[in-house]
Amino acid sequence: MRHYRRRASLILSALCIAIACRNNAGANSDTSAVSASASSTSPDENTTTHLLVAGDSLRVIEHPENLPAGFPLQIKPLLISNPYEGDKRAIATGAQLFVGYNCLDCHGADGSGAMGPSFQDGRWHFGGSPGDVFESIYQGRPEGMPAWGGRISNEQIWMLTAYVRSLSSKDLSTENFTGKTVERTGH
Amino acid sequence: MERVLRGCATILPLIAIAACSGGNKAAVVDSTSSADPQATSSAATGTALVSGARIAVAHAGPPGEWQMPAGDYASSRYSELASITPQNVANLRVSWAFSTGVLRGHEGQPLVVANTMYIVTPYPNVSYAIDLAQTGQPLKWKFRPENSQQAIGKACCDVVNRGAAYADGKIFYNLLDGHTVAVDAATGNQVWRTKMGDLSRGETITMAPIVVKGKVIVGSSGGEMGVRGWIAALDAATGKEIWRAYNIGPDKDVKVGPKFKPFYAHDRGKDLGSTSWPGDTWKTGGGAVWGWLSYDPALNLIYHGTSNPGPWNENQRTGDNKWTAAILARDADTGEMVWALQVTPHDMWDYDAVNENILVDLPIKGQTRKVLVHFDRNGFAYTIDRATGEILLAEPFVPMNWSTGIDMATGRPKVVETKKTAQDRNVKDICPSLEGGKNQQPAAFSPQTGLFYVPTNNLCMDFQARAVTYIAGTPFIGGNAPEKGGPGGYRGEFIAWDATTGKKIWGIKEPYPVWGGALATAGGVVFYGTLDGWFKAADARTGKVLWQFKVGSGVVGNPVTYTGPDGKQYVAIYAGIGGDMGLLIAGDVAANLPYDVRERGTTLPDIARWTSWGGELFVFSL
Repeated sequence: MRHYRRRASLILSALCIAIACRNNAGANSDTSAVSASASSTSPDENTTTHLLVAGDSLRVIEHPENLPAGFPLQIKPLLISNPYEGDKRAIATGAQLFVGYNCLDCHGADGSGAMGPSFQDGRWHFGGSPGDVFESIYQGRPEGMPAWGGRISNEQIWMLTAYVRSLSSKDLSTENFTGKTVERTGH
Repeated sequence: MERVLRGCATILPLIAIAACSGGNKAAVVDSTSSADPQATSSAATGTALVSGARIAVAHAGPPGEWQMPAGDYASSRYSELASITPQNVANLRVSWAFSTGVLRGHEGQPLVVANTMYIVTPYPNVSYAIDLAQTGQPLKWKFRPENSQQAIGKACCDVVNRGAAYADGKIFYNLLDGHTVAVDAATGNQVWRTKMGDLSRGETITMAPIVVKGKVIVGSSGGEMGVRGWIAALDAATGKEIWRAYNIGPDKDVKVGPKFKPFYAHDRGKDLGSTSWPGDTWKTGGGAVWGWLSYDPALNLIYHGTSNPGPWNENQRTGDNKWTAAILARDADTGEMVWALQVTPHDMWDYDAVNENILVDLPIKGQTRKVLVHFDRNGFAYTIDRATGEILLAEPFVPMNWSTGIDMATGRPKVVETKKTAQDRNVKDICPSLEGGKNQQPAAFSPQTGLFYVPTNNLCMDFQARAVTYIAGTPFIGGNAPEKGGPGGYRGEFIAWDATTGKKIWGIKEPYPVWGGALATAGGVVFYGTLDGWFKAADARTGKVLWQFKVGSGVVGNPVTYTGPDGKQYVAIYAGIGGDMGLLIAGDVAANLPYDVRERGTTLPDIARWTSWGGELFVFSL
């Protein structure tokens, strides 16, 4: 399983690099999803750090802090950010895609949770940064989340990412069984 | 709604049992003012309320064992054991308990064969053999099948399993990821494992099989995923598929041939399973078989229901949508359809017809009739001739307003125009809700009283249908349907039903939908569990609650009773809230997932105060 995730991450990153290269060649910069930076700035919560390891093959290291000292690297931290983060129009489109691709019937209206987990609680099984959410949508997840990569455009995945992240606003840590309720649909 | 109000006006509150409240909203016993004075007096004297009624097929194995999901092919959930009576049931105590190690909805029931209890858990569908003959009930074996994780996210309504069947020294059950397995009952070794469903298209399996003449009968889930529902028979010895019948599509696929003789004229015709759909929509039209199976050896017929048509949005599938939301009778040897009764043609409320079909012989209008009694999601209780599919009687058993009754000439419900759902419209206050007047929670029948004991829901809904695109492996639903409590201020009721007259004899009102099944016993006691975690015993004749115990989690499973090695009568029940109610509707009863915290649901706003997810077997004895 670990191996699988590595491979999938690799594919994702390779794809992102492709996008970046295209952008550098003068494509519409609005779709830029990846910026490669030589500086070692610490990522904020909206970015995911992946280390690209160049050598006989391209590898992705998700947790560079765990590398042993002296590990041979020619590294550039790859900061993945969502070009649509906080973009109201993109979020509105993401909301439509959320219905159109049947995400709603798994994750509940407004992401309140149904067959699949809630998006409203600010909690994430597989990480909540834009890159993590993109990855979840792109490659799917083991407990039934389908892989949408290659089936829908990356741009749409980013819009879905922006929408899904916009739902996450509630602190539900303490349940005192009073207050607001959410309308839910059984099956 | 008029019907609802009239129905309620005839209900006279009889006894409020303070002991039942336990700090909770009190359960209240009502007794209908019966039109038949005989019924009232017989309740007092202890004779049968409906005399001359009998179960069509004998209990499987010795009376002290429980070898099939419902105890017998008739789906009666009745036991001849009579040590526990209304007089002594107050002394019932927990004898032992067992954690299944798995949280989430524990629908279904254990089996008991030769002093061994067999349990199947929700996903990952672990099975246990528990040695009842030894103190402390050690395990004989534990079997952990290979079972794809992907199945978790493909199951519409929690990762439930409704149990196993025993035959020929083997335990047969289904895996959520679409496999059927046979396990050696003595060793726990897997005998065979057969892939039956395609998970990538949303086909899971949650139902309990039955074994008929060396064949294991199984059916698919996935009515919310745009599957094409089927039922199939596997060779119990080898796991090889013997026949498979789809419930939608051309006659060849649905096994409609010369034997097919439906009672109503509109069910006759060529390829109705595809021509009653626009274009190719039948290919993703649902009609799954996730409920209970019955079998009549004399007629050699298997009875099963079919699920809702997909998607919920009726606009995308004009026509009757046969054979969804139907009761089907099939030849047990070949799967050929012998009769069909579509109880909700062109369903637009998610009224699956998969609820159990209880096979009994009942005195109706002076004649003993071989019938099948079925409490449908659509709110009607049907008494049907099980040889022909003719409806003898159909009456509402819960508050309802979508239909004014069944047209007895055609067998079709008369639908109220204003309660028809439609794309992009919000149709308000439809009763019952899509959970139905009754859902998977199976009823029981007692030949002693001649009554059916039925766990019911009292919920209504608003229905908002919308256009939806089929995408394999994702939900094919196209609708939201927020639910609320039905008329009367209660959300569930455990009722006693006379299927010869279509009348409720008594009812125990519950604050929540009664999502656990019923057990009837020859001791004159009936058992059921509640969503808020009470396991209750009631007098089969009067509906008086005689005993109750708060188990570790809400009950969505079905009680069974057996004789222990010490000769005593035991009653067993799972505690483990889940299923549609516990996962989708409640919202906030889980506590085990740090990444999935949900706000409470409007339908059951305070359920999480009373229970949390669990997975435990409780066993009681005097």
